Amino acid sequence: MQIYIIEAVLLIFLILITCAVIFCKDILSAAIIYSAFSFCAVLLYLMMGAPDVAFTEAVIGTISTIFFVASLKKIDRWCK
Amino acid sequence: MRGPFGGLILNIAFRMLVPFTIVYGIYVLCLGEFSPGGGFQAGALLSVGVLLARMILGENARFNVLGKTSVVLAGVGTFLYTLTGWLTIFGGGRFLEYDFMPIRMEPAHEMHAMAIFMIEIGVAVCVMMTIINLMDAIIKRGDEDGSSK
Repeated sequence: MQIYIIEAVLLIFLILITCAVIFCKDILSAAIIYSAFSFCAVLLYLMMGAPDVAFTEAVIGTISTIFFVASLKKIDRWCK
Repeated sequence: MRGPFGGLILNIAFRMLVPFTIVYGIYVLCLGEFSPGGGFQAGALLSVGVLLARMILGENARFNVLGKTSVVLAGVGTFLYTLTGWLTIFGGGRFLEYDFMPIRMEPAHEMHAMAIFMIEIGVAVCVMMTIINLMDAIIKRGDEDGSSK
């Protein structure tokens, strides 16, 4: 029973984090919050019994955050 | 690697983080057949050190792989993968049929594990260099027309 509660909490976290990324005006914050999305997805994959996918998601989440922050050099940080 | 990285926190973070990341990447590469992980994850982990050095120091980073070198090395990784397949063809089998590797080892699964390890080394090198090349393409500055210098 507890596993369903934890899974539901994680899913609600995922939805909230996605809304935060969409409505965030600061692109740097959006990139950082997106890494939190990746972390919640890692926990969900682990609970579903796929450690391989979880490992890949953790590594790729880190690297895509690095890419997003690096591409902020070229564009404006605040969106109108 | 001896010079400062532009600040105490960056210095400590880079020096504490990157050696463990590289060791963990090699661990994942070597035990990829038995446990979660494999060539793709190991390559991504190994590229984190170079990415962090380039993020912190920019173009002056000494712990670095240049853009053109990374393209060549990605091709070398793909060639390693294909070479394993060719070895089995020259041994008399089909492409990637591990029973026909030219090196004979007595338990068959040992030979399979060694061939899979060769393939994963190729995949790891290819993925690592492709990620470094993507980083190079993102950071590189363009002129007014948008084309890169």
